Amino acid sequence: MAVFPSLDWFQKVRDVYNSDGTLHKGGGGACHTTAAFKVDGQSYLIVFEGLKCADIRTPTSAELDEADFVIEMPFDLWKAMVANVQSHGKADLQYTLNSLDLQQEEGIAHSPADDQYRQDLFYRYNQNFQDFFDASARVKTTFA
Amino acid sequence: MATKPSKGMAVPAAMPDSSGAKAVEGVPVPTFEWMGLSAEWGTRIKPGEHGLRLSDLNVGIYGEVPEVWEDQTRRPRGALPRPGVPPLPYNLRHKHQMWAESAANLYEEAIQRRWIPATDVPWASLKPLPDDVERAVCQVCTELMQYANTEIEIITYWQDQMSYGYYEVKQFLATATFDCARLIEALRKRALSNGGGLGQESRGLVNRMILESRGGWTESAVYLYLVRGTYMMQVLKGLLNAAHNDAERMIYGKAIEDWSRHLTYGYDHLKYSISHQAGQADILQTLLGLGEVMMAAELQESTMRPALAFIFGSGIKGGRTIGMETYLHLVGDFVRNYVAICDWLGVPRAEMLHPLLKKYLEY
Amino acid sequence: MSEAPVKQQEYELDTSWMQHMGEWGMRAEPGKRGLTLTEIQIGSYGDIPEISKNMSGRPRGAGERADAYRVGAYGVRAKSEIWLQNATFLYEEALQRQWSSATDVPWHTIEALPDAVEEAECLLCTFFNEVEFVAGDVPARWVANTTPDFLEPRHVLLAQVMDESRHMDVFRKRALANGGGLMRMSGATSGFVGSIDLARDFTEMSTRLHISGEGAVLTMFRMGELFGQNEAEKIMYRLCAQDEARHVAFGVMHLRFLSETAPERREEIEFYLDEAEAQILSGVQNPAGTQAETAEALAILLGGGKEHYDEGHKKLLVIRRRQLKEYMQRVKTAGFGARFENGRSTVPQQYESAI
Repeated sequence: MAVFPSLDWFQKVRDVYNSDGTLHKGGGGACHTTAAFKVDGQSYLIVFEGLKCADIRTPTSAELDEADFVIEMPFDLWKAMVANVQSHGKADLQYTLNSLDLQQEEGIAHSPADDQYRQDLFYRYNQNFQDFFDASARVKTTFA
Repeated sequence: MATKPSKGMAVPAAMPDSSGAKAVEGVPVPTFEWMGLSAEWGTRIKPGEHGLRLSDLNVGIYGEVPEVWEDQTRRPRGALPRPGVPPLPYNLRHKHQMWAESAANLYEEAIQRRWIPATDVPWASLKPLPDDVERAVCQVCTELMQYANTEIEIITYWQDQMSYGYYEVKQFLATATFDCARLIEALRKRALSNGGGLGQESRGLVNRMILESRGGWTESAVYLYLVRGTYMMQVLKGLLNAAHNDAERMIYGKAIEDWSRHLTYGYDHLKYSISHQAGQADILQTLLGLGEVMMAAELQESTMRPALAFIFGSGIKGGRTIGMETYLHLVGDFVRNYVAICDWLGVPRAEMLHPLLKKYLEY
Repeated sequence: MSEAPVKQQEYELDTSWMQHMGEWGMRAEPGKRGLTLTEIQIGSYGDIPEISKNMSGRPRGAGERADAYRVGAYGVRAKSEIWLQNATFLYEEALQRQWSSATDVPWHTIEALPDAVEEAECLLCTFFNEVEFVAGDVPARWVANTTPDFLEPRHVLLAQVMDESRHMDVFRKRALANGGGLMRMSGATSGFVGSIDLARDFTEMSTRLHISGEGAVLTMFRMGELFGQNEAEKIMYRLCAQDEARHVAFGVMHLRFLSETAPERREEIEFYLDEAEAQILSGVQNPAGTQAETAEALAILLGGGKEHYDEGHKKLLVIRRRQLKEYMQRVKTAGFGARFENGRSTVPQQYESAI
C-alpha cells in the first residue's frame, strides 16, 4: 500500500510502468524529458529516457527550475484523478491529463523557464505521461 | 441521417469562470446550415482482424474512384463540394496517371513494418573490414543514398500535383519518401561508423533521367521503378547475400522489404496505366528505349560496378574474378527480371532490348 | 538469385574512385539513444555549410565529381533559410513515435452518438482531412527544393509528410466508422491555410504552416481529446496532437535559428507574422474563432449537444484564449516576442478581450 502523494508512491508507479510493456500504448515510444509534478506542496522530478521512466526523485530547487515542464494541480484534482484511475483501471474520459489541462483555465502544465517549446513537450509526450498515470491503477493506494 | 437513439454521453466538465460570464459581444447566432449536408450518411465501417484499414473505407460513394477527378480543390473524396472555392494546381486528375489498386494496402503495410535505424540495427555487430572492402561498402552506400534521394525528389515533385480523388496513392507515396529518408539515414550511419566515410558521388546518369522526366508521374514511374527500381532490388539482394555482419543484414533486409512495396506500387500503377490509357504502351516503349540506353551506360561506367564486385569478391583481388562474375550475374538477373516484367505489363522488350543490356543475358 | 556460374576470367576494374572518397576513418558510436543522426555529425560530415554549393544532389560530405550532373536546381541553399538546432532530435523522435491508425486506435469502443453530435464530429473530421492535405503537400514540395546538404531538416519534413498522411487517414476513418459520413468541405484551406500554398520562401511558409496553422490545429486536436466521447476518439486526437506538437516545434526552432543568424530578415518575418495573425487568429479563417462553421461544430461537441450550444461556445472561447496565449508564447520562444510588447501585434488585446 502506498500513500499518495509520496515519493514511494511515484516510485512504485515507475516500477509498474517500466516492468510491463503492454502498459506502453501505441503512439507512445521513446521519450526524453525531465518534468516535475507538484502535489500538495511537494515536488517530484520524473525523468524519461527512451522507453523507460529512468528516475523519480525529490528535486532540488535548481532541478525544479530546470525541468522542461511542471504539472501542477490543486490537491483535490490530483486526488480525483488518481482515484478515477484506481476505480476504472485507467483514466476515464474526463480525467485524462489533457482533459484536466483544458478544463483548467490556465492549464495544469507550465514551463518554469517560460519556454513554450519546452512546455509543448507535455503535448509531444502526452501518451507516455498518460500511460504512466494509468499504470498507477496497479499500485494499491491510500490518500494522505 | 443516423437514427440510433442517443445514450448518456460524456460531457466536458464545466470550466472555471465560464459559467455566468457576460455575453460575448459579436458572437453570431449559429446557423447550423452545415447540418444535414452529406453526400452519404449512415456509413458504419467496423474494424476487421487487421484493424480498421484504408481499404475498408471504400464503401458506398466513398469507394467510388472515378476515372477522372475534375475537382481541383482539397475536397476529400465523398465530401460535398462548396461553391466558389478557388482551384489549386492539381494537374494530375486522371486515375490512369497515378492509380494502383494496391496503394491502400501498401500504405497500411508500410506503417506496420516500420523500423528505426538508431535503435533497431545492431550497430555493435560492426567489425573492421579490410580497407578495400570497407571502401567498396561505403561507395555502394553512397550510391544507394543518391538513388533514394532521387526517389524522394521526384516523388515530392509530383506529389502536390496529384489530386485528392486518389488520396490512397498520395498516402502510399508519403510512406515511400519516408522509407527513402530512413534508408539514407541507415546507409549514412553505416558508412560513418566502421572506420570509413562516404564515397565519391555518382555521376548520376539515371538519376538525371528520372529527375528530368516531366511528362507526367507515369513517365517518372517508368524510370524510377521499372528501370532503376528493378536494378536496385537486385543490388539489395546481392548485398544481403554478401552482408558482413548483422547490422548490414538488417539494413539490407529491411530495405528489401520497403522497396518491395515501392516496386509493387510502381508495377501495379504502370499496369493500370497501360490498360486504361490508349497508346500508353507505345509511349512506354519509346521511354524504355531511351531508358535502356541510359541504364546500360550507367551500368558500364558507374562505380557500383567495381564496388559491388569488390564486395562480392571480398576485396580487389577476388573482385576481379569471382566478384565480377557475381556482379555480372546480378545484372543478368536484373535484365531478365526487367524483361519479364515488361512482358507482364504488356510492353514486351525482349526483341527490342538495347544491345548493351542484352549482353548481360549471357550471365 | 540463381547460382553464379564459375569462370576464371580476370576483369580490369577501376579503383581510382577510392582516391576521391569523402573524409576517411570515421567511427561514429551509438550514444545513450542509439546511433542517431547526432552521433554521425562527426568530422567534416558535421560541417553544415552556410551556403550550399551542392547542385548535384550528392550526400553531404561525399567526394565530389567534376563531371556530375547539376540536377538539383535547389532554391533553398542557405542554412539560415531552413536550419534548426534540434533537427536530428525531432527526426529521431518522429521515427520512434510513429503509430498506426488501423491498430493503435481502439475503434471498437465507438458507439452510437446523438445525431447532432455525430454530425459535428463528422464535420470536424471532414475539415481535418482537408487541412492535413495542405500540411502534407506543402512540406513535400519544399523537400524537393532543398539541397541534400541540409539532410536533417529535410528528414524532419519528410517525417511530417508521413505524419500528415496518417492524420488524413485517421479522420476519414472516424467519419466513416459510426453511422455518419463526410460532410461538406470547408473551403477554408483556400483561405485559412491557402496562403501557405502561395509562399515562395521556406521561412514564410513555415511561419504560416508550423507556427500559425499547426499551432491552431494542435489546440483543436487537444480539444478533440477533451470532448472525445469514447476511447477511440481520445486516443486518435491525443496521438495526432503529439505529432502536431512536433511539427510546431520545427517551426519554432527554425524561426529561432533564423532570428539569431539572419537578423536582416527580422522585419520581413514580422510581416509574415502580421499576416498570419490577421488571417488565422481573427475573423472567419480561424476554425476555433467565432464564425467558422467548424466553430459551431466545436461548440456542439464541447457542450455535449446542440441543446448545450451556448455552454459549449463559452468553453470554446476559453480554449481559444489559451490558443492565443500559446501562440504568443511560441513566437516569444522563437525570438519575436517584442511584437507583443511594442504594440505591433493586436493579439495581446484579443487575448485580454476574449472572455
